[in-house]
Amino acid sequence: MNDDQDYTATMPPKGSKRASLAAPSKTLVLDNGGYTLKAGIVSSANSEPSYDTCAVIPNCIARSTRDRRTYVASELEDCKDFGELAFRRPVEKGFIVNWEAQKAIWDHEFSGNSAGDGLRCDPKETNLLLTERPNCPKELQKNCDEIVFEQFEFAAYHRSIGPVFNAYHPFEPNSLFSLPQECLLLIDTSYSDTTVLPVYNGQLIQAAVRRLTVGGKLLTNYLKELSSLRHYNMMEETYLLNEIKEAVSFIVPSYQQFEKHLEQTWKGRVGDKRAVDPSIVLDYVLPDYEHSIHGHARPHDPAQSKLRRGLQPQQGPKEDLLPLGNERFAVPELLFNPSDIGIEESGLPGAIMEALSVLPEAIRVGMMANVVVVGGNSLIPGFMERLDSELRALIPSHYLLNLTRAEDPIKHTWLGAARFASQPERLKEVLVSKAEYDERGSAWLAKKFANT
Amino acid sequence: MPHVEVLPNSTASIAPGWTYVVDTGYDPSKVAINPKNKKRAAAQPRAPRGDGELTSRQQLAIARRIAELNRDNDPKQAIEIPGKSAVPKTQNARRIIQYQRQIKHWLDDEEAQLAQLQQAPQPRAATTLSRLGAHPSRRTTNLITSIPPTPSEATTPAPPSTPAPPKAQSELDDEPLLSVDTSMPPPVNPAELQALLSSPPLPYAASYAAPPPSNGPPRRHFCDNCGYWGSIRCIKCGARVCGMECKEAHEATRCLKWA
Ligand SMILES: [Zn+2]
Ligand SMILES: [Zn+2]
Repeated sequence: MNDDQDYTATMPPKGSKRASLAAPSKTLVLDNGGYTLKAGIVSSANSEPSYDTCAVIPNCIARSTRDRRTYVASELEDCKDFGELAFRRPVEKGFIVNWEAQKAIWDHEFSGNSAGDGLRCDPKETNLLLTERPNCPKELQKNCDEIVFEQFEFAAYHRSIGPVFNAYHPFEPNSLFSLPQECLLLIDTSYSDTTVLPVYNGQLIQAAVRRLTVGGKLLTNYLKELSSLRHYNMMEETYLLNEIKEAVSFIVPSYQQFEKHLEQTWKGRVGDKRAVDPSIVLDYVLPDYEHSIHGHARPHDPAQSKLRRGLQPQQGPKEDLLPLGNERFAVPELLFNPSDIGIEESGLPGAIMEALSVLPEAIRVGMMANVVVVGGNSLIPGFMERLDSELRALIPSHYLLNLTRAEDPIKHTWLGAARFASQPERLKEVLVSKAEYDERGSAWLAKKFANT
Repeated sequence: MPHVEVLPNSTASIAPGWTYVVDTGYDPSKVAINPKNKKRAAAQPRAPRGDGELTSRQQLAIARRIAELNRDNDPKQAIEIPGKSAVPKTQNARRIIQYQRQIKHWLDDEEAQLAQLQQAPQPRAATTLSRLGAHPSRRTTNLITSIPPTPSEATTPAPPSTPAPPKAQSELDDEPLLSVDTSMPPPVNPAELQALLSSPPLPYAASYAAPPPSNGPPRRHFCDNCGYWGSIRCIKCGARVCGMECKEAHEATRCLKWA
């Protein structure tokens, strides 16, 4: 059996019956995110998968009106001018909606000459382990299943809510405490939104999943809106504003600090002009896409901003500066106070408490002792500290709170799924082969995945 | 102590189309955070808090702006897939690849289907943790009722015939630093746990977190133009600004933009 599997991995016996009987030994593990897809091929013969096996690829098709080129997914690496770059994203609100675009991206990254060496595979000889976000409409799940088997013709397939695989990460508990491994409270704060997922013994407690509208996309769009209102029209500069957001954002530790920073960054009003505090206000030097592809931040220089409005320096490169004051902390603050822009949801700590309120108290205690945060927004400086202090204030004092950020919050879900895929026995239990699908159909498959 | 913003000159205060707003200056350091807060009535109807003065038109404007901020694709921008696309291999695949629908269409479909299910006679009286409620788009279950009893309230211990409590609990019991506390939660009721684990996913719209508790800090209002505290309200659109300079900027730019 093992010999057969190794054989299929190295020399695919095209059309041989053998291949259709045993599941292939290699699996494409795919965390298909709204912003990037995280992908890697895992072979059961491999040793432990690692972050290095995971490629992070933009999940979009981008069109530049300047060089009149269309960039598919990883081709964005070649892009030298992100000005007015328009994006088409197959994933909306975290779910694969546009299969024309998603298929083009999968084709580009996994098959043919355009595929990277580590990712090229023949679906007929490969399993697919695909992650999805929670609360996906059933019709979209059905579309996905049908495309995977009928268009791509993967040999075998399993679809599951991504963060559930995080329960398979070996978790090193604090040496003082032997915590129940059964409980994992996963916070996924990524591009599309932010979700709270209580996982018990590797099973997601679906009824307790909660979601916040605010994700990285909304934060970038908000910064884009504010910068366009206050300085330049940057509504077509999504790429740049995302870059700026990542470079300058921080989350304040407390309400008091928020108030203080708001004062420090206020220019005052007529009759009461104030100097803004240069320890907070930055100037972002915008790229001109001639001498520079990326911009950078530097301390605010009020004289420069006056120059900017009129005279440019006679010599040296022309510089465009975007001053950033309260935008730096008021934008990511939406994760904790969505109501600041009128979103009628409590912030992340409130959403966590709401998810917990569905659980029996004993499980609640276990969940708080093992909270793991994944997703790119968790990298915003101050995020973990703020979440920790707000949660501590909300939970009973005798609960132990243990909050950690995954070592690589972007690739963590992928790694959990990859570890799962590297264990043949585990994988075999959940995979559905194309033959089974052909025989029983997509309604049966949907039920099967709903129960595993 | 309420904090009232006063403009530096009196002529500003009679500018037409503007009202002052008393800023309650909420200071959380002066408000004890009550751990029982989590028992708040989180499922209360979504009424605007603090200032019950938002008109439905203003609420619609806010909703439009949030939808815009949350949009994944610009429907006005059509980006062609480069190169020739492979022929769809089945009728299903062809249909799915040709869909040009956006996520909101799929979510509307889901809501419509749920509404139909609600009207049809239900085979089982109460599904476990029935959160679909009367309105599919909202969870109407009062969270207070779904919070398990606190130790002192727990009156029904698990019957002796039920299977052993799950491992999590036995490990918790063995955990010295936690078990010394007499306020340890009661063991998990296996039937309750089973019901919880087997309950289906919520519909997408029902998965959103509830509004902030009505007894929490009031909504903060910021200057629509510069982001500082917004102590003056625009009568035309309900937005806030910090002073006369920003008032003018607001009127020249975003006033009524989302209306
Ligand atoms: Zn202002
Ligand atoms: Zn206005």
